[in-house]
Amino acid sequence: MTDLFLKTEDLGRLIASVRDGGARFIAPSTDARQTAFKEVSGADEVVSDYILATNSYKEFLFPQTEVISTHKVMKDSVELKGVELEAQGTVIFGARPCEAASLAALGAVFTWDFVDEFYTKREADTVVIAVACTRGDDACFCTTVGLSPDATAGVDVMFKEADGGWAVARLTDKGSTFVEKHKDVFEKTACAPKPLFYPEKIKGVDVEKIKERLSNKGHYEDPVWPELARKCIGCGACTFTCPTCHCFDIIDEGTAYEGERRKNWDACQFDHFTLHASGHNPRDTQYKRWRNRFMCKFKFYPDKFSSKGCVGCGRCIRVCPVRLDITEVMEEMSKLP
Amino acid sequence: MNNIYLPHLMTIEDIYEEAPDVRTFSLAFKDRALADSFAFKTGQFGLYSAFGLGESTFCIASPPTRKHGIQCTFRKSGRVTGGLAGLSIGDTMGFRGPYGNWFPLDEWKGKDIVFIAGGIGLPPVRSVIWNVLDRRDEFGKITIVYGAKTVADLVYKSELALWDERGDVTLVQTVDPGGESPDWKGKIGFVPTVLEEAAPSPVNAVAVTCGPPIMIKFVIKALGKLGFADEAIYTTLENKMKCGVGKCGRCNVGDVYICKEGPVYTAAEIKKMYDDF
Repeated sequence: MTDLFLKTEDLGRLIASVRDGGARFIAPSTDARQTAFKEVSGADEVVSDYILATNSYKEFLFPQTEVISTHKVMKDSVELKGVELEAQGTVIFGARPCEAASLAALGAVFTWDFVDEFYTKREADTVVIAVACTRGDDACFCTTVGLSPDATAGVDVMFKEADGGWAVARLTDKGSTFVEKHKDVFEKTACAPKPLFYPEKIKGVDVEKIKERLSNKGHYEDPVWPELARKCIGCGACTFTCPTCHCFDIIDEGTAYEGERRKNWDACQFDHFTLHASGHNPRDTQYKRWRNRFMCKFKFYPDKFSSKGCVGCGRCIRVCPVRLDITEVMEEMSKLP
Repeated sequence: MNNIYLPHLMTIEDIYEEAPDVRTFSLAFKDRALADSFAFKTGQFGLYSAFGLGESTFCIASPPTRKHGIQCTFRKSGRVTGGLAGLSIGDTMGFRGPYGNWFPLDEWKGKDIVFIAGGIGLPPVRSVIWNVLDRRDEFGKITIVYGAKTVADLVYKSELALWDERGDVTLVQTVDPGGESPDWKGKIGFVPTVLEEAAPSPVNAVAVTCGPPIMIKFVIKALGKLGFADEAIYTTLENKMKCGVGKCGRCNVGDVYICKEGPVYTAAEIKKMYDDF
């Protein structure tokens, strides 16, 4: 229902209302001269003229580092304690519809068979307020992967920019509950939203066709892979900013007698990622690691979890220090016979 | 909260030196109820913790037919295995598991079984061997081909002697050229070659192999030459893992998650995978 309106000057009231309820309010804000998602306490900290925050908001559901257990090694025993996560209510404001669609991918991997409650508990307590895109840049390609500037997957409440504020639509039960809880700040007036920014669909790219091409095992050794990935330096920035990348490491920190076990983000682009103790490494060169990431997005994820592995947000393109553009690889893959 | 990453505590009850830097631990659950209820199938694996250093993935090297706890065998080669190697009898370590699929022993009833292992690849195969030997009447001829780089690197030396003494097992041992000792009585040569010379019959038979990836590749070729169908060749793909439960994203071979859909596969299944070993 799009019968509600939030005035620009009332965003501060919404933030206060959310924070009064004990939840954290995450929004695009200025961090080291860039626009990034972080917790804000007032409307003056919220940036509105952004295309996309530099970081994905996945870090509020799946932190870059988190303690999963603590241990004390004593003379005759070990005291081991699992972390009891007290998930805090979280409101993500200003997500773009592309990255909201990534929740399906994260949810799938963290719940198939074994359920990672560190993720599910946080996700259950998170409300995603997306703001439909009225601006974009040439790295945006949501329309090429089947999404749009007002796609609804993963979005609880959709905001659309209008003169003097936002038109508000409740898309899920969670969204309705949220709006109901903070109903005082919204007004019951319909309004005309501003026109949206639709990135041009990349000609000659069809993700369904890419999936088919990747099914052909002959293409796995195609010389195009080392050629395309030649300039990749394996920095892993694409994976850290990607809203669907979920790979992590489990490591112990502390002294020999007392410490904690942590889940830390890891990246398939790092050379140690798949290194065996014997020295054997199934992905011993950078192009193999890059190929794995591309296939994970366009073949493995869609097949395994029926979810999008790539949502077209373009973060990996913007952040790549060597300008390795995933859409160029999509074009090349679409050309394969 | 159900924490899928939280290990069980285990006591090291015994330690066996198998080869230079290779050790076997006998482990018992500290939790009595768990010790009674714990069940696994041959081929499954677990994650073993050295607290303060982290977790490593190994198979369960003992057979499910021997009820008292579990055993694991590992080579000291990094941070975690180095930490484990520093533990003594009576010390505490962690275990999560069992994870993954298993060898379908019930489908093998009445068949001959050929085991082929290389180096530190014997532990997962050893679990199957003892499981089969503990149910000896249900299977046909048993052949074991085992090799290592050098005589010193052969693991489970006392059990090799036990298998050798048995009248109902054919054991062929080999070491790589140059790895023999003056009193070595076994073969000298690489495992795939020695396997071809031993020429076990493929008729109504299955083969089980584990070793370095390069050895597995050539063993599968050799078994093909001997007439074994790809569907009758089983192996276990022990890839690098951190979570063991399909989340951390590093054990995949193409679209196959080894930790959840494996680690046990037939050669027929492996040939369908992307070449990502």
